[in-house]
Amino acid sequence: MSDVVTVSLRAPLTDPLQVEGLTADRVAGLSECEIAALPASLGARQARLGDFFDVKGERSDRLRVVGALKHVHGVAAGMAGGELVIDGDGGQGVAQGMTGGLVVVCGDVGADAARAMIAGTLVVFGRTGARPGRGSRRGSIVALGGIDMPVTYWCACTYEPPHVRLLLTYLRRRYGLNVEDQMIGGRYRRHCGDAGDPGRGEILEWVG
Amino acid sequence: MSGEPVLRRGVAIVDTFAEAFGMRAARVLITARSNAWARTAAQSMTGFATSVIGCKVEAGIEAELLPKETPDGRPGVSVLLFGFDADGLRGRLVDRVGQTVLTCPTTACFDGLPEATERVIVGGALRHFGDKYQASKVVDGQRYWRIPVMEGEFLVQEAFGVQRAIGGGNFLILAADQDAALAAAEAAVEVMRKVRGVVLPFPGGIVRAGSKVGAKRYKTMIASTNDAYCPTLRGRTDVTSELPEGVNSVLEIVVDGLDRPAIESALRAGIDAACRPGVIQISAGNYGGKLGKHHFQLHTLLAEASA
Amino acid sequence: MNIRGVFIEDTFAEGFSMAAARVVITAASSKWSRAAALKLTGFATSIIACKCEAAIERELTPDETPDGRPGISVLLFAVNAEGVKRRLVERIGSTVLTCPTTSCFDGLPDATDRVLVGRALAAFGDKFQSSTVVGGQRYWRVPVMEGEFLLQESFGVQKKAVGGGNFLILAEDAPSALAAAEAAVEVMDGMPGIILPFPGGVVRSGSKVGSRGYQSMTASTNDSYCPTLRLTTGSALVEGVNAVLEIVIDGLDADAIIRALRAGIEAACRPGVRTIAAGNYGGNLGPFRFPLRQIMAGGC
Repeated sequence: MSDVVTVSLRAPLTDPLQVEGLTADRVAGLSECEIAALPASLGARQARLGDFFDVKGERSDRLRVVGALKHVHGVAAGMAGGELVIDGDGGQGVAQGMTGGLVVVCGDVGADAARAMIAGTLVVFGRTGARPGRGSRRGSIVALGGIDMPVTYWCACTYEPPHVRLLLTYLRRRYGLNVEDQMIGGRYRRHCGDAGDPGRGEILEWVG
Repeated sequence: MSGEPVLRRGVAIVDTFAEAFGMRAARVLITARSNAWARTAAQSMTGFATSVIGCKVEAGIEAELLPKETPDGRPGVSVLLFGFDADGLRGRLVDRVGQTVLTCPTTACFDGLPEATERVIVGGALRHFGDKYQASKVVDGQRYWRIPVMEGEFLVQEAFGVQRAIGGGNFLILAADQDAALAAAEAAVEVMRKVRGVVLPFPGGIVRAGSKVGAKRYKTMIASTNDAYCPTLRGRTDVTSELPEGVNSVLEIVVDGLDRPAIESALRAGIDAACRPGVIQISAGNYGGKLGKHHFQLHTLLAEASA
Repeated sequence: MNIRGVFIEDTFAEGFSMAAARVVITAASSKWSRAAALKLTGFATSIIACKCEAAIERELTPDETPDGRPGISVLLFAVNAEGVKRRLVERIGSTVLTCPTTSCFDGLPDATDRVLVGRALAAFGDKFQSSTVVGGQRYWRVPVMEGEFLLQESFGVQKKAVGGGNFLILAEDAPSALAAAEAAVEVMDGMPGIILPFPGGVVRSGSKVGSRGYQSMTASTNDSYCPTLRLTTGSALVEGVNAVLEIVIDGLDADAIIRALRAGIEAACRPGVRTIAAGNYGGNLGPFRFPLRQIMAGGC
């Protein structure tokens, strides 16, 4: 059992890679070999995660994903718990259908992030791509680097959310992430959605 | 209420009223060797006393007193306590003076409502702590108990006055952001603390979590968050928000006072001080006028000031 | 035993088992965390009448708090874990929930016994509250007029905490007793793991169990230490002692109390002080004993 599981992309990809089961709660119960055996498909070709990534560590619910990941899609999809940090840009569909836990993207994130999210938190330091949080029931997206707000979300207020301060302080201390003081103590616009529900999903957009 | 809001320094004063309740109050004078020790006793006495509902009593420090203002010519502090009735208040006085003033080095404890016709026995109850070694003295028609303690003697007046009073005077500061709301509230508290006859029972004088009666989703709760004024809930279909555009934070100042004029002075001074940049509206909390018999119309308050 | 001319009596303080929690309050500034802490810990001098004993433990720097803001830690003692929970719910609900800019966290992360204070208080949110998990801990976000109140769900309880550590300062006059007590409080203030629950940390009205004059009283003035009664009753005071003050210490464990006693007594041994003694019930009521001479000799 390790403190953190790290999966690092060996070489940059030109074609999209769809991963399955790459979530913190899943790897919490898997050995290094089993993690490497998680399915990954390049186009029609079925393969394994280990064909593209080096895996270090096992049986931890803290997972770091490293490399040029813009073409890696479905990271943290369906995640139910634990903590997953993407050390760079994230691809599409990050954290979709997520039901719990914390996902952090240190760079930009692609389209359809947190789609149909049920619960949990997605933090994006870079820019959030198109159609974030579509159909989200109850989770939170913290957008630190700009976002195109879906029209189905409405703005409740601008405030200093205490849980964001707590979360960012934690990320700085636990993971050594470079979080600016003005984000920790900053103001956020709170958007609620997705329309149709009482709107318990939220997107917190940093405004300075 | 369908009048137009009045503006003061760009801040809209809503045409509404604060609804306050009839209560009973007592005033306790704590003297000590120094202001610091009197204040220490007073802080301990007035802790956990923000709302009669949760704490059985509301209390705060009214003023620091100069030696010439106190019965024994020492520095002191006056404290006001508010309860629903005289008997309940008596119980709270005995408990609190007994636990936080009797125990505190160098203090003595006197009544601060000598004109009040209704009296409750406080020192007369605490004297039993003296285990029959206590003695009393009458000075200028008032009885005082001398309770032997390890330090020497604790002097406490036998009877304290209780009078009709008012609790729950209030106003709301609706601001563009948290910092502006807090700065306005702090400015208000600073001037309101100079008014005699009132106290602000909440921490630092300010309430950040105003409540409504009952709850929508829990059957047995007595009070719950005032969702109509919660900025993070604005826009939800299950919330009827009272927040105008641009308001992102609301704070409330609650004031309890010995009489109407004292509360009016405090509210007038506080509202005026709160009309600062970043504040969008001043409003007040009420229950449609149905629960409390003391109403403070905001427009009337401010009109009287300029008169 | 003598320390700088002050006689240390060959006696012990008797301590009791209690349950304790540590509450960490952070705010936009230390002014606001202090305002909340003062309201939280008022009227909490003695478990018998106040249901709990509570006071500020120390100030915390931003590095020491979960959200990186200045803060204050408070210790609260009650008879048992259930008592701790009830008092925390009522007091945090009245005084921290209502105080501008504050957030409220547990300060005993390693305690295995937990009480769900945050969950109970979050109901104030009228089902508009939500929760979030950070670092394996659940926190409640309660919507309030100011914005949101952040409160940790679970608070640790130290079931083997100790109450009633104490020492008595017997002095020539009241000002000397007070100066010695103030000096002791100054060194003890901020020592981790302890609080001094009485106003300013000092008790001027020490009590004894029961009473001789009244049947139903549970506590009354400790007459054998009252200087004005020196010739009236079986006094423990020798001539020349004209004032006695007591310092009461509650601690998360016996070691914390011993360290505090040592530091406090050392500071109290000043001109004008004749004797340092301690209060006990013959060792029959409480499981802890703090023998003064051994403690001052560096033992224990």
